[in-house]
Amino acid sequence: MAEVDMFHEEGGDEEDVVMTAAEVLEKLEEAWLNEKFSPELLEGRMDLVDCMLDQLAAMENNLRMARKGDLKISLHRMEVDRIRFIVSSYLRLRLEKVEKYTSHVLEKEEQKKDNEEPLMSDAERQFARKFLECKKNHFGALALKHMPPNMQSAEKELAGVAPKLNSYVFLRVNENTANVLIEEDTVDTGEEIIDLEKGDQHILRYKPIASLVNSGAVSLI
Amino acid sequence: MDPAEVEFLAEKENISIVPNFALEQIYMIGGDLGPFNPGLPTSVPLWMACSLKQRQKCRIVAPEWMDVEKLSDKKQEEVDSKFFTPMPSRHYLEVSQLLLQCATDDIPRADEVKTLIKDIWDVRMAKLRSSIDIFVKSDATHAKLNHLTLMEINTVRPFLTSALNLLHDLRSNLTAGGFASQD
Repeated sequence: MAEVDMFHEEGGDEEDVVMTAAEVLEKLEEAWLNEKFSPELLEGRMDLVDCMLDQLAAMENNLRMARKGDLKISLHRMEVDRIRFIVSSYLRLRLEKVEKYTSHVLEKEEQKKDNEEPLMSDAERQFARKFLECKKNHFGALALKHMPPNMQSAEKELAGVAPKLNSYVFLRVNENTANVLIEEDTVDTGEEIIDLEKGDQHILRYKPIASLVNSGAVSLI
Repeated sequence: MDPAEVEFLAEKENISIVPNFALEQIYMIGGDLGPFNPGLPTSVPLWMACSLKQRQKCRIVAPEWMDVEKLSDKKQEEVDSKFFTPMPSRHYLEVSQLLLQCATDDIPRADEVKTLIKDIWDVRMAKLRSSIDIFVKSDATHAKLNHLTLMEINTVRPFLTSALNLLHDLRSNLTAGGFASQD
């Protein structure tokens, strides 16, 4: 058993691509913008966040030890602040969506199979559960317990809102993708298929291209 | 998105500066920069260039396209063309605004540059407004927006996306023959 596990781990390591800090930063910026514009919660890129936080911590540590008033220090500090802004904005955007679509994201997370990338980090998942529970208790204490017994369930209300996947988004194409079905075949309108060419910018509904955002073939702008 | 955030993204663009101080190569998280030698041009991100300029540590070399002749040609091209023409920088408005703010003295004929950029922006926004009009009226479900810059997209984003969302809802109401289900 142990052998199998080790083997598995080694295989996993090989898949890890070595990235420079600059590349991680670029990926994180992309994830930040995607999260900003996508109507639903995307898969969390906590690997990028953790990596960047490590970098920031190391840099801040160095800065603390460095001489005060050096030009270099102030430049480094400015960069640290800029990156910190991206990281916190990214995490805040995600929490905002978790708060808004609590039940929906938890449900979606449960449907995920073990081998799939999780939607949320452990901390986010814990936050979502706790938030839902608090909301439930709050509703109960405030109003529901004063209701007649047959009206005390609020499951439907607690299910809350689901993200509007049909919202329009702007996107830029990173990889050529042919034959993207963007409009289902309906009675009045025929189906519409377009080719996405690298470098093109489009405005489209989010739903048909959701999988392309996750795979990185397109970026939301 | 807040316009300040678009500007934040624009500040990543590289620009050439001529420093008046000496500093060995510095290892930033976003990549290595320098070395800096007095009088020798080197490339840095815009945010750093502006900060150095404000501390009078460098002179900014205006980007090649920020030139009265080139911009007048560009403006003429934009006026003549029915479609959007490719811009010399993905963040032309923000870059020129920032540079005109913090490094007016480094940009030759800054006033004329400012007016030209403003003219180009106006021409493009007018074009954008009329294309949106055609797009919305044509009942199309998607559009290609090549050569539009982020700031331009951002200006029309709130209005355009919500209008299209509503149109889509109305359309699916029609085809579904009743209440549109929202998934």
